[in-house]
Amino acid sequence: MKVLVPVKRVIDYNVKVRVKADGSGVDLANVKMSMNPFDEIAVEEAIRLKEAGKVEEIVLVSIGVKQAQETIRTGLAMGADRGILVVAAEDVQQDIEPLAVAKILAKVVEEEQPGLVIMGKQAIDNDMNATGQMLAALMGWAQATFASKLDVDGDSATVTREVDGGLQTIRVNLPAVVTADLRLNEPRYASLPNIMKAKKKPIDEKTPADYGVDVSPRLEVVKTTEPPVRKAGEIVGSVDELVTKLKDAGVI
Amino acid sequence: MTTPPLNPADDAFAARLRAAGLPEDAFRPVEPRYLEERRGLLQGRAGLVVAPRVTEEVATVIRAANTARVGVVPYGGGTGLVGGQVCADGPAPLVLSLERMGAIRGVWPEENVLVAEAGAVLAEVQAAAEAVDRLFPLSLASEGTARIGGTLATNAGGVNVLRYGNARELCLGIEAVLPDGSVMHGLKRLRKDNTGYDLRGLLVGAEGTLGVITAAALRLFPRPAREGTALMVVASPRAALELLALAGARVGPGLNAFELISGQGMGFLAETGCTARVPFTDLPDWAVLIDLGLGPGDDPEAALADLFEAGAAAGLVSDGVIAHSEAQRAGLWAMREQIPEANKRVGAIGSHDISLPLSAIPDFLVVAGEAVARLGPYRVNAFGHLGDGNLHYNVFPPEGRTKSDFPGAREIVARTVHDIVAGFDGSFSAEHGVGRFKVDDLARYGDPARLAVMRAIKAALDPQGIMNPGAVLG
Repeated sequence: MKVLVPVKRVIDYNVKVRVKADGSGVDLANVKMSMNPFDEIAVEEAIRLKEAGKVEEIVLVSIGVKQAQETIRTGLAMGADRGILVVAAEDVQQDIEPLAVAKILAKVVEEEQPGLVIMGKQAIDNDMNATGQMLAALMGWAQATFASKLDVDGDSATVTREVDGGLQTIRVNLPAVVTADLRLNEPRYASLPNIMKAKKKPIDEKTPADYGVDVSPRLEVVKTTEPPVRKAGEIVGSVDELVTKLKDAGVI
Repeated sequence: MTTPPLNPADDAFAARLRAAGLPEDAFRPVEPRYLEERRGLLQGRAGLVVAPRVTEEVATVIRAANTARVGVVPYGGGTGLVGGQVCADGPAPLVLSLERMGAIRGVWPEENVLVAEAGAVLAEVQAAAEAVDRLFPLSLASEGTARIGGTLATNAGGVNVLRYGNARELCLGIEAVLPDGSVMHGLKRLRKDNTGYDLRGLLVGAEGTLGVITAAALRLFPRPAREGTALMVVASPRAALELLALAGARVGPGLNAFELISGQGMGFLAETGCTARVPFTDLPDWAVLIDLGLGPGDDPEAALADLFEAGAAAGLVSDGVIAHSEAQRAGLWAMREQIPEANKRVGAIGSHDISLPLSAIPDFLVVAGEAVARLGPYRVNAFGHLGDGNLHYNVFPPEGRTKSDFPGAREIVARTVHDIVAGFDGSFSAEHGVGRFKVDDLARYGDPARLAVMRAIKAALDPQGIMNPGAVLG
């Protein structure tokens, strides 16, 4: 079976995000970019399936600026086999919306015919949590979102989903779209010998036009603001002082 | 020294401090935290704990202590590793905690200078620098607790010495209270100031024996725009040194850190249930953690991959991993930084903070390894700042046994290791200081003329011997 794993290049999770002065978005110039952490988990899961002998080939696809090639190389160094880079933007500030991404992915799926698509449940930059569901709908496939456990068995997959209040286990027929949640696995580091080998792994470069998809934005960002700054706390000297202050504040 | 014995910091002395104008809120309860040595090697004593709020109050305390001949133990974060902050013998001293003097007095980003009071926690100083997009590069495992005054008094090192130097190199000027209670105003924000003896350099590293540092002007640096970290498996310590030379030639000053990690250390992480993940299924004998900080147009991950490729071609490296995100960088560093915690959980018979000429390190490891093996069935975890020639050479009991099964071994092991270090023209204390634990080592290995000068300085500045009695010179 072939597995397709879409990977997105996003602002690094640990970078302090700064909103641009004009409020049009966040500043991405000279900022550390990394693979979306949920996509990293998806890549890891695909590699584990391959190591378990259930998958023959792992194909990565990234849609965005040309630099997203680095993100694909990262996944190849982790153990994926080849990549498809869809150059859909020139400006790092431009985000390709979930519907356009899902439409491109649907075309890639038609070409590649994977038995399974594993992808992050959401990208940490726009937090949309939509692309996987949209792709499943466009393909008419089963979807298993927020996966914390995945077992592939023949032509079906058993997926444990993290839902409100607990875990839900479902079985889906393949082909299917599985979106990875945080606890699915802990991704490995890319090994340096594999990075050397990954340089030889092929990456096909495409454009949205190759797939007949229009990536023009349908959404308009009205405003981006930083969260309100938390007010500083106050250290009290004694329990009595605490109680007095709470009473003064009218909360007890 | 033939000074008369000191007096205890008793109630009468507390009354003198009050009379001298020390406010009531400066008096603290004598809590156990002021008296503990982290590994339980010493139990401290104190008649009184005071925590002044301003430099003038520190001066008041020291002046009174000098008059009354009461010993003073300056106290920062309590993270020192050589007992410099814990006084176990003699009349109960006064513990002078700088915990309430934690202000950042000023930041001059355009000058790359920050002035902090001695009680500022190292991590707070780092954060204050980051807030103006600058780097204060002093970084060590205890940075969340250690205070800047203590790191200066001990001339602390840490993981960034290779690129930025020790605490002394990061300090432009200090304000200090001298043993007679006078205040030395030396918070110059100058890079160049050739006006006589280097008293900043003298008090930094004096471990509180010549006065109390109350504030310091610290050097800041531009933050490297692009950072990257890799862990590479090396064939041997000698291969690690050759890789270091290769890294120096390829990335030059961009090398932030070059840390040696032993297979034994990685094994301890798993053995003691530390959370850090070791990214190898089969533990290698030796690995190096390499951290780069480069300019905005550079790609540290590519530079590390190139270094690996060159190292592999030269037969120096066989395997390794690279961090592709800040989370993974933190993960690799967590592995390095949890090794001291793992060591603590295993319980070392002896830990030795040694410094060696770089090229002597491979031979030292062989000679010392054989000598320690002759003493007993011990395990050795040698790790640390290879780029600085600084190793932490720690000796442990065999698996399933504890250090208490080997009474008396600590001294024999230390003597053996330190004698070999001296034979290679190294140092028995690279970055931890002398404190109280290494007073005998200083007397044994120190150059006689140098020791005589140190004693003369001590006698001139602190004739009554009140400052951190028993530390450094004994």
